[in-house]
Amino acid sequence: MNLEKVIFGFFVVLALTLNFGFFLGEMDNPAHHNVLELFAVIVVNLIATVLKFGDRSQIGAVLLATSLVADLELIAAATYWTFAVHITGTGLTPEIMSSIVSLTGGALLANVISAIILVSETLFNRL
Amino acid sequence: MAASVDLSRVTFIVMREMRGPLIALLTVYSVSILGMVFIPGIEVEGEIQYMSIFHAFYFMTYTATTTGFGEIPVEFSNAQRFWAIICLYVSVITWLFAIGTIIRLFQNPFLVRALSEWQFSRGVQRIDSPFVIVCGFGDTGSVLMRGLSDYGFPAVIIDSNEERIKALQLRNYKVATPSFCGDASVPKHLLEGGLRRSNCKAVIAITNSEEVNLKISALARLLNPDVGVITMSKVEIFEETLATLGGEVHIVDPFKTFAKVLAASMRNPGFYSFNNWLVRDKGASLERYITPPIGTWVVCGYGRMGYEVNRVLGKYGINTAVIDPHDSKEDEYIERYIVGRTTSKTLSQAGIENAVGILSGTDDDGHNLGILLNARYFNQDLFTIVRQNRHENEIAFKATTVDMIMQPTLVAARKILFLLIAPLLKTFFRYLLEDKPGRQEIMEGVIHALRQKVGNEEPHLVTIDFTRAKSKAVIQLLDEGKKVLLGELIRDPRGRDVPLDLVVFVIKSGEQEIVIPSNSYEIQENDQILFCGTGLAHRLFNATINSEYKLFYIQHGVYKPRSHLTKWIINKMNKDGEVTHH
Repeated sequence: MNLEKVIFGFFVVLALTLNFGFFLGEMDNPAHHNVLELFAVIVVNLIATVLKFGDRSQIGAVLLATSLVADLELIAAATYWTFAVHITGTGLTPEIMSSIVSLTGGALLANVISAIILVSETLFNRL
Repeated sequence: MAASVDLSRVTFIVMREMRGPLIALLTVYSVSILGMVFIPGIEVEGEIQYMSIFHAFYFMTYTATTTGFGEIPVEFSNAQRFWAIICLYVSVITWLFAIGTIIRLFQNPFLVRALSEWQFSRGVQRIDSPFVIVCGFGDTGSVLMRGLSDYGFPAVIIDSNEERIKALQLRNYKVATPSFCGDASVPKHLLEGGLRRSNCKAVIAITNSEEVNLKISALARLLNPDVGVITMSKVEIFEETLATLGGEVHIVDPFKTFAKVLAASMRNPGFYSFNNWLVRDKGASLERYITPPIGTWVVCGYGRMGYEVNRVLGKYGINTAVIDPHDSKEDEYIERYIVGRTTSKTLSQAGIENAVGILSGTDDDGHNLGILLNARYFNQDLFTIVRQNRHENEIAFKATTVDMIMQPTLVAARKILFLLIAPLLKTFFRYLLEDKPGRQEIMEGVIHALRQKVGNEEPHLVTIDFTRAKSKAVIQLLDEGKKVLLGELIRDPRGRDVPLDLVVFVIKSGEQEIVIPSNSYEIQENDQILFCGTGLAHRLFNATINSEYKLFYIQHGVYKPRSHLTKWIINKMNKDGEVTHH
């Protein structure tokens, strides 16, 4: 058992599941999407990204890329949220909420790809 | 490519080292923010205020960086204040840890090395004109580099001495000089220096160590069979090995070079001055000839220089007396060989009173100057040749009135410079110095012409290739089947009645080399020309061969119209020509 692999796998899967949890629910209903969950997704995603730093393999490069995509979309979603609530003061209207959730949906897809790569790499190593 | 590998190495090191601090920062920030969000704030209008994530992040941003804007958006509760204290200390310490890691990382010698290697190979890749790799930046290297810079020839410099590389970076060269501190005999460094690039013309191995030079030469030949190899060697066995490398190999031996010049100037009075003037030696003038006299010579110091000079003198049937502390070699016979240090006693033994010349050629500058003073005491009219070993003793040597100063580093550097910028000069000199009737008069003619045209200005020795890239206008005319004569090109494009201030030495056309070509020579594509002239003449010549309008004027004496409108008007006014009269 490789401790680094455990930590790495833990964060990749945690990022994916948290992301899924946030994404779950009616798209335009703010009551179904918790801000703290979004915060957790972002933090876990960032940690997962940093863990991929310095991996020189080809797989490592692809993992870093997918992770960066997820970060980008999640931060965009969070920034949009902040703007809507604190800066423009429009609040979480259904339109705004659905675009935030769709952004995290994109990030979810990137995280799914990360997880698939991770699983397939592990399988290849087993074979 | 080597460069991208190095870059990935650098980013790899940075990323790996920064992983820890970044994760620490992320954790500390997220825990602090979560704490601020969950800890109840003060009560406003009966409602407990909680901080939003945005406000908590804002608070952490200015707290962790010790900016401290205060409590926003509303006053904190005591519980929040307590948490803020913890946040502040922990986050500030984490930041210090992260910054400390960055600083430590950039002090890591391996990272610094990887970075400088990367910068070096990037610098090399940015050079797009022909360049050379100079291995060793000592006295010879720096004189050579000054010359290359004057002629606009970029060079890549590799030296193992860090101080020399730092000194190099402070010089104001006019060309790109990417430099790298490292062992040039390591193949990787030569490759990073651009050895395999198509515009790498030559590798110049001039480090202090003969063995390293040999290794560099062999490596260069192995890694790039087409590159020129120029090296400085003073040892016979190495020269033999070098000669078998194959391809273009030049071995520069400053003592042999000097001996050749000395031999030539004994027969051709003007040659020494001419040669020195061409290399822009300080104090050299075409007006003042220096000719070593025929008679008995005293050679002090029978090292490499003494040996070469003695051989040259012997060839002219000149009697010599040699003074050297070491016994003579067994396989050669020297009539008068005095074993001992050069002192007034040994000088008298050698017959200094009746000698006409003295060579002071030991490898100790102080001793060489001492010998001169000693010899002058006995004989005022001696012709003196002295060997200056170290560049830093320049002032002392200039203060003595010596006829010839031989500085091995300088001689070697100039020889290498000419091999690079004026390869045809060798042909020219060989022609002038050939032992045939009339040659001396030709040389006198050349010197006379140069005296008139260049005079006291700095001579520019210029090699120009008539290729499409370098002389657009000429090739264009040749393509059209028209003739371009040499006599036309050497006129002034500002007024064609005046010839440019230059003297054409050699034209190389295919395998044929024409020395002092006549004005009716027809230029062919890919010809190479060597001329010497003023800097202005060089610029004007270049302007002519690259501008179809200037070339047209020089050939026809009238100006070619440039714009469509003028061409149209001319066509209307003057049915038969496209020519305006000035």
